[in-house]
Amino acid sequence: MSIRSLWVISEENRGSGVVLFSRRYPTVESRARRFGKEHYVSIPEDTAFVRSLLTELGLTDPEKPFVEARDSCDRMHKTSALELKLDQLRGDVLWPVLAIQHGKLILACLPLIEAPLKPRPSLPSLPSISQGFSLLAGLQAFLTGVKAEGDLTSRLGLLSNLLLHACPLGSPLETNLSQTVVPPASLPGTQKQPAWKPGIHKGRAQVAVAVSEQVRSMQYGNPSKPDTWDVFGAVSCKCDLEGVLPNVTVTLSLPPNGSPLQDIVVHHCVTSLDSSVLTASSVDESDSSAFSGPYKFPFSPPLEPFRLCCYTSQVPVPPILGSYQITEELGRLKVAVNLKLHESVKNGFEYCEVQLPFFNRGQLANVDLRVTTGQLEVTRERGLVVWMLGQKFPKSLEVSLTGSVNFNGVNVSGPQIGPMDFLCVGLTSYIKLNFRVPDITLSGCSVDQHSVQVYSSAKPKIVTSRELVSSDYYIWNSMADAPSSSGPVML
Amino acid sequence: MTNLDHSNWANRVADFFHSPSHFLLATSTDAFLADILHDIKNDKISEGTKVLLLSPLLEYPTLLCTSPHIAEQTASSLLDILIQTPHTPKTVNLKSHLMLSITSVLISTSCMKPGLGVAERLIEALIQTLQDTNDQKCGVFCRPMRAIASECLREFEVCYPGLLSQKLDILSSLRQHESSPLHQSFSLLYSVALKNAVRWLTLQNDIADRDLKDILVRSEGLAWSATENMLNLFPITTGDVIPVLPYSMEIRELKSVISLLLEESYLLTPVCQASLLRELTQVVAMVQSLSPTIFKSQLLRLFGTVEISLLHAMLQMKGTFTDSLFTAEDENFLLKRLVGMAQHPLLPVPHKLFYIDCILHFPENRPICSSGEENLPVLVTPQMTSLLFPTVFNESHTMLSRFNLLCLVYLEAGNEEDKGAGYMYEHLMALQAVVEHHSSREIAVTYFRSVYIFLYYFYQNEKYPGNLIQSLCQLYQKHCDFAPHFINLAECTQRTLDDSPWPTDLLQAVQILIVQLPQDQLIQSSLSWNLKMLSRIANESQVSQGSTVHFLLNLLLNSGLCTSGNWRMGNSVLTVCRNVLQHPSLDKIFIELADLLQFMMLRFEDLDIQDHARFYYTLLTNLSKDKLASILASGAGASRTKVRSLSSIMAESEELSSSLTVHSTRHPVLQLIKVSADDGSRRQLTDCGEPLEDIPDCDLFESYCDQFLHLSPVIILNYHLTFVGGVDPSFAKLFCIRLHFELTDGNYAPCSEITVPSLFQERKPHLITLTLKPIRPYPTVLKVCAVFTTEDGISWQTQLNPISVGFSEVFLSLPVPRQWPVHKKLQLFDQMWCFLSSEKSEESATSRFCFEADEQSLERMLDLHLSTFAISKNPEPETYKVLVFLPPKFHILLQIQRTEDAVCVSIVTDSWQLLPFINAYLQSITSSSGLDSSLSVLKL
Repeated sequence: MSIRSLWVISEENRGSGVVLFSRRYPTVESRARRFGKEHYVSIPEDTAFVRSLLTELGLTDPEKPFVEARDSCDRMHKTSALELKLDQLRGDVLWPVLAIQHGKLILACLPLIEAPLKPRPSLPSLPSISQGFSLLAGLQAFLTGVKAEGDLTSRLGLLSNLLLHACPLGSPLETNLSQTVVPPASLPGTQKQPAWKPGIHKGRAQVAVAVSEQVRSMQYGNPSKPDTWDVFGAVSCKCDLEGVLPNVTVTLSLPPNGSPLQDIVVHHCVTSLDSSVLTASSVDESDSSAFSGPYKFPFSPPLEPFRLCCYTSQVPVPPILGSYQITEELGRLKVAVNLKLHESVKNGFEYCEVQLPFFNRGQLANVDLRVTTGQLEVTRERGLVVWMLGQKFPKSLEVSLTGSVNFNGVNVSGPQIGPMDFLCVGLTSYIKLNFRVPDITLSGCSVDQHSVQVYSSAKPKIVTSRELVSSDYYIWNSMADAPSSSGPVML
Repeated sequence: MTNLDHSNWANRVADFFHSPSHFLLATSTDAFLADILHDIKNDKISEGTKVLLLSPLLEYPTLLCTSPHIAEQTASSLLDILIQTPHTPKTVNLKSHLMLSITSVLISTSCMKPGLGVAERLIEALIQTLQDTNDQKCGVFCRPMRAIASECLREFEVCYPGLLSQKLDILSSLRQHESSPLHQSFSLLYSVALKNAVRWLTLQNDIADRDLKDILVRSEGLAWSATENMLNLFPITTGDVIPVLPYSMEIRELKSVISLLLEESYLLTPVCQASLLRELTQVVAMVQSLSPTIFKSQLLRLFGTVEISLLHAMLQMKGTFTDSLFTAEDENFLLKRLVGMAQHPLLPVPHKLFYIDCILHFPENRPICSSGEENLPVLVTPQMTSLLFPTVFNESHTMLSRFNLLCLVYLEAGNEEDKGAGYMYEHLMALQAVVEHHSSREIAVTYFRSVYIFLYYFYQNEKYPGNLIQSLCQLYQKHCDFAPHFINLAECTQRTLDDSPWPTDLLQAVQILIVQLPQDQLIQSSLSWNLKMLSRIANESQVSQGSTVHFLLNLLLNSGLCTSGNWRMGNSVLTVCRNVLQHPSLDKIFIELADLLQFMMLRFEDLDIQDHARFYYTLLTNLSKDKLASILASGAGASRTKVRSLSSIMAESEELSSSLTVHSTRHPVLQLIKVSADDGSRRQLTDCGEPLEDIPDCDLFESYCDQFLHLSPVIILNYHLTFVGGVDPSFAKLFCIRLHFELTDGNYAPCSEITVPSLFQERKPHLITLTLKPIRPYPTVLKVCAVFTTEDGISWQTQLNPISVGFSEVFLSLPVPRQWPVHKKLQLFDQMWCFLSSEKSEESATSRFCFEADEQSLERMLDLHLSTFAISKNPEPETYKVLVFLPPKFHILLQIQRTEDAVCVSIVTDSWQLLPFINAYLQSITSSSGLDSSLSVLKL
């Protein structure tokens, strides 16, 4: 269960790349030689490797429309395990190269195959694959994550030392790279310390638990295309508690009419789980007798903030139901948006805004729009109108926007607000909602002072919170075609 | 000073890592390694720089330690430094790096053998470092170093399974007593050693029942047999047969050991837990009387995990133990869990794709077929996977992966197959709508890949493949620049769909589409794509080409194509014609094609196109169909030469580029073997000494020296160029071989390349004559590489072993007229001797060399080596005078004299730099003839 080599590559212009960091593990390579025998292929030098990798990722020759080695239809790119062609004539290939792209960064590693090379083994039969994915995920979090400190160069400078301790000879010991920075504090006592908690907290005891739920939706306003929405959430904790292995239990509860939590996956520090917590799955048909709480998670926390568990849920109604209409009339676009807040949702937003992008028409010229609540902000150059609804919907819980816009046809690069912008041609268009509502969740899942039990002598301060945030919340123009998912079952 | 050292080294190391092979071509490997080892010992170099110095050894030990002997020495030097360095907070980092470097060097250079001293000492040192339980003695700062020591030991055990199998007791107690997080490393180390020890036990012939108990408490030395009979490294569960221990073994102690390890596994990081579970799975698999239910308690904890490595470990446990550990409900639960996680919004995309792969290779308790191919588990139904339906909103990998899975699900769904195919087809249409409007390359490639997947599963469906052809034609109408994709799709489907008519139907439909296009719609850019399409379609023997030829003729007649004289367009049309010329139904369209070609040869406004058209026309009208086919056929394998010579008929293809690049051979193919000197005749140099004919004796020396103003002597060396043993049969016949020689120092003038017309394996080796012009007559090494062409027309480049030119090969006989009498040579000798021995010449030197020899051996030695150069022999006292000439203008004069106890050689030379070479040479010739040589070289 080892890695032969590891790379961090930056994609440069025109299909070339630069190796920012690389580390080879020669002892693992000697094992690869013994495993592979006559089929063994050695790892080429960095520059040759980068070239092959970029070709396989389809990043080379950006100006050529079709290159068989890159674009052939029988080259299945179904997983992140790539086969790099090193030498056209000799047929040398390097497999499986795991690669993750994050913006312009490419993180790649080559796990060891501990099985005969021919016939080619399947990925799930190779234990090193999941180790490789874990290591790359940890590397990605360290280099680009939200909590990453300093800029990329300084973090790359630290990487060598971190990997010395996290993966000295090719077998990863720890994939949470920022963990290895913690220096050992003091001599250990008699109780065994967890390897994922190398230090001990000293000071005031505090436990913070936050439930963050996200809701996404696709609304079409079209009877032949049903609207879809779903909810997923994560419970994050930060526990400052003394002791080597303090015990904490967090309980999530649902109100009587709450939607059951499904697909629960937990952090490895959770000590045990009731099987009823795990059986609820979105795969099953909805079942009224499904377990609906309370969900108990006993665990012993690590030092740093961590995600205790994640879940999904199927709620009966979306928080905001809306419709969007655009029609073209005499060179102007007539726009109408209606939004209704469901009464079960708390009417108290931290922010709520609607983005109305206009694609492929150029700069906005004359904007004649009226709203019942809130303000409009127009960015002509980008063809974008933003409607800021403020903190509250009015008493009727309904708001609307009407009016018309036209364009002066000057070419612009486009609003670029979402990954689906390329789908918008002609009158096919969407609006995107961004909002955050503190102190509620759509599933009803909640945690409070009494749901957190800490088994220690000191009485810790307990802080709980919850929020609902939108993510990928789109409403499509019902007067034109809209892309939708096909298939038999809709949520 | 240290800053400069550090930045110097930083630059050097950075250059090394940028391209090790280039770096080592410029610098000698030995010198670089020597520099590293030297500076590591240097106290003035800072710790940080020393750590930097170790990094090349850490990552590329096989490049720097070119032989096991060098590796052993390097490891030894580093180990000495490691042991001498004290344990202080400042040195922890250096010591850690030293441990890792030594481990890297020893393991990857394959120099481990039984009883290897440095390995034994290293492992001893590592174990000692580990035994400071809970950092009591050295302090907390040592802990990272102890962790590294443990990892080094684990790597030794993993690479040489069983090496530590006799130390299980020590390893166990280390693990039990350690409360710092280091117990994790110890657990891993112990579990690997335990598994290997059990493995070795299964290989024994007589296994006693208490053997298992015994290995757990053993505390002995290293099991060196692990380095010799290397145990098969494959994990036990990959093979079909698992080696097992008999049921009767006493397993109580083993069971408690494993239980304890599992209980504490919660304290390990997820990747380490996965490793531990993997090792323990193998142990339990080998010990039949140990039930897999020992893992049950951990499974309950692991069922809900988010960690990919733990889920993977669980799946592998399922594969090994099936229903001994997992019930049918468990299986159902695991499968649903996988499906749920494969589309969980909060998991990263690569993990989700891996989970889909896991579904397709799910280890069922009762599998229907057990091949390694993708297989749908019985329990997976369309209803279960409904959430995994691909949408146009997915990114391409996710979309393709889900599409593939769902196609398989519906294919296996029996009565729902047609409905399922319908859903998949709907998705394809949705994707096509996107592609039509927004033709970015990524979406287009994804679309065609989806089409290929769909056809792969549903090509036998009655309705949808036909509908697909219609939709693809619609797509082509809007985007004829997708022609390469269409061609590629046709080719891939022809390869994989056994004899399905679909690809041909597609191409025919596109042909109909193209030939019906109105002329005014054919703008230049779309025309080139359409012509490319038509030329590919012309390769289909099932599709008649009459409409194509008609279309082309109309095109030429009615559009301005001929008058514009665009070579590319003309060439595209000719490519179509060329393919049609090979079509089986040529007879039916003979006249139209002839008309077309005739029109082009008369009217097309480009000479080259006219010529080509005339050529094709001539071929068409004069050759029978069979002859035509054989000329135009590109031929298989052996007739690649024909391909290149007929390049004017060849349509453009990517194969040409392959035959134009020079490839490198992986292994050496050729070698140069020195031809032994038969007599001194080969060493004669040209144009020697005629002007010296009539010089009076007294001026001999002066005029002799004068001749060097216009003399440029060379050395001639002969080699046989031949194949190395065991060379690939594709290299049995080589042509146009060009040998290139590269000097490694400045002592010789550059030598020119040598061409050898051919070399066949079954024939004699070729004789090569290498002419070297020395500037200074020192021994040297020449690097040799060769470029040659093989029979299939491909050019290769290969490296040969370097050839060394020894000191004795630079010896030439004196540049004096051949018929000179002996006394004249003696005169010259004496005059030269006097001149060089005196103080007048600054570059000269005198020396002495003594050795023991009896009369016969001395004579034999002189006969063997110096006969060409001997000037005179005096019997009483026994003295010999030898004069050796070294080009360009140096000499060695030897007076060999027998004294009472030894033979004494007085040496005089006109270049003091030659002394070490002379000394080494004399040493070699006197020892090789079985003489006792004692080194007493005195510089007088």
